[in-house]
Amino acid sequence: MDLFLQRLFDGLSDGSVYALLALGIVIIYRGTGHLNFAQGEMALFCTYVVYQLGEWGIPLVPALLLGMLVGFALGVTTEVALVRPVAKKSTFAVFIVTIGLFQGLNWLDGAIWGDQVLPNSAVSKQQQFPSLFPNKATDFWNIFGAGVRIESVGIFAMVMVLTGLLFLLFNKTKVGLAMNSVASNPESARLVGIPTNRVLSFSWGLAAAIGALGGVVFAGQNHTVNMSMMFGVFIYASAAATLGGFDSPGGAVLGGLILGVIQNMVAGYADVWVGQQMKIGVAFVVIVGVLLVKPSGLFGTSKVERV
Amino acid sequence: MKLPLATIKSGGAASWAIRIAVAAAVFAVLLWVPTRGSDPTIGYCLDAFVLMGAAMSLNLLLGFTGQISIGHSAFYGIGAYTTAIFVTRWHWSPFQTMPMAFLIAFVVGVLVSLPALRIKGVYLALVTLALGLVFPQFIKWPKVEWLTGGAKGIDKAGFNFGRHNRTYSIFGWKPFGDMRANGALPFYFWIGVGIVVITYLVCRGVVKSRVGRSLIAIRDNETAAAVMGVNRAVTKGIVFGLSAGLCSLVGCLGTIRTNNVTPDSGYITVLGGITFLIVMVIGGAGSLWGPNIGAVLYIFISVQASNWSNDSSTMPFFLRPFLSWSKVPVGDGIFAILLIALMFVAPFGLVGLWRRLSAKAVAVVPRPFGTASVTTSSATPVAD
Repeated sequence: MDLFLQRLFDGLSDGSVYALLALGIVIIYRGTGHLNFAQGEMALFCTYVVYQLGEWGIPLVPALLLGMLVGFALGVTTEVALVRPVAKKSTFAVFIVTIGLFQGLNWLDGAIWGDQVLPNSAVSKQQQFPSLFPNKATDFWNIFGAGVRIESVGIFAMVMVLTGLLFLLFNKTKVGLAMNSVASNPESARLVGIPTNRVLSFSWGLAAAIGALGGVVFAGQNHTVNMSMMFGVFIYASAAATLGGFDSPGGAVLGGLILGVIQNMVAGYADVWVGQQMKIGVAFVVIVGVLLVKPSGLFGTSKVERV
Repeated sequence: MKLPLATIKSGGAASWAIRIAVAAAVFAVLLWVPTRGSDPTIGYCLDAFVLMGAAMSLNLLLGFTGQISIGHSAFYGIGAYTTAIFVTRWHWSPFQTMPMAFLIAFVVGVLVSLPALRIKGVYLALVTLALGLVFPQFIKWPKVEWLTGGAKGIDKAGFNFGRHNRTYSIFGWKPFGDMRANGALPFYFWIGVGIVVITYLVCRGVVKSRVGRSLIAIRDNETAAAVMGVNRAVTKGIVFGLSAGLCSLVGCLGTIRTNNVTPDSGYITVLGGITFLIVMVIGGAGSLWGPNIGAVLYIFISVQASNWSNDSSTMPFFLRPFLSWSKVPVGDGIFAILLIALMFVAPFGLVGLWRRLSAKAVAVVPRPFGTASVTTSSATPVAD
């Protein structure tokens, strides 16, 4: 029982990171129908920025907010300068542009900060990447005999609060309602006077900012930043988005949490069979399984095409 | 509309002159490199052959069928590990392992294509990306470590050269290099040439046949193709399998050449799959020659970029202010920028760009329908 609770909370905190990136993927997908393969790398770039701000002595919380701002700017710039002009030609071109961004941002991280794993005592002052919540070995709460780490609970709570705020944004504010209407029918949205282009830019910015938060949380959990950190997280996040449905933000959060829990349970209870290596197999099985059985996911709307 | 500066009749004298000149140039390079080229030069050519084969196989899938795959690194890995395992465990000749690798990759490819029948576009990209990420982890999985060697990989996996080998020589010229020393690079070079030629011929054969026409029909309008009687499931499955099989052949070459294989070597990680994609798109999706041009360019720029990072004074002056501060080789950055820029000006890559620009200068008049033999006198130029 105590192990179960421990794994549950570890799963929820891992899943929170997937949920954050999956939210970004879904926000972009339901606006434009494009899958942003650079979502993870955008987040990684912002994480490096936060790391750099930490090097300059800025505390984590303001550094994180600045990093999210950088993410927002990055997202908006990408949409306006790279995606929108190409989207007129074909969706394949957009796909290639996001692959180019993936490669380019990954290279840029290495070009600026070097390819050695950071923090690295040779080049950096920080001992490890700071976590948003207390994460020393002694920082845990005793719940029913289980040692639940404060960091796990904190991250989970933070993501829940953020989801609540996003729910309010989507359903109660003018911007959010505009985003919903663009998602459901771009043509009609334009006809009733919604500035579609500006809404789409905002979606990309929002997605990248949320991704930046996910990157910082993930780096905090692992105490490190490195260039290949986000490959795995991105595939988990896309598995989460697939599971929840590509056009449902709530589904993305729930999908991320479910995936995190499944992954920790499988790796925990079936460690002889699955172990650390094949944890990623969970994501693969979820993606293929969901797409085969119910392509619209748990909460997505299934596409009906008129022939 | 402006008239082109010149017209060339397909099958005419000028057309044949160009073909013969290109063939002679290719032939000269193929003879010069293994005989007179230095070891690094042959090595770069082998790198290029690997990318050529992989990009051509990916092109069969993406360029001609419109199915996106980021996970071709997994099929490359299947080839690399098939050779390594069969050579070390059952003492097969590396040549014998190639058909085996093709077969295994073909079957896996067909299996992957089964969900691909329902999954389209970016979703398929997602599935293949996951496949590419899973494969190296699968190799490291403790349950299969007895077979794959886990993270350590497999050593002595290629040809075993030694005193017992014959050294072939024609009047003192050794076409295969010194076969008694390990690392007979010219020998590997010829294997590479063979694999690239086979891959090219298979791609050409598929594309110019009935299957190829149904592929293009599926790419352009799947519903219409199905209505016209194209069997989508079989066609897509076979092409996915063929593409996977061809990609595994260069995996064999990768193992043979370095004589060992690890889960992080070569193009086995998912970054390899992305490299294949970039090479193919830069060269030209949907063109038979495009991937080869992309591969040569990729190797050329990568080699230059690593030279620059060793000695920044060799970097061309116009790049220095932008790239000399980079802490890692700038090749990846250049390709990312090139890739994005190409999507703005030429979605069909460098070959597409060349076709568009050259069409303004030189018009190629196709052979009139029905004149299969080269009878230039009867060909009438078509006025535009």
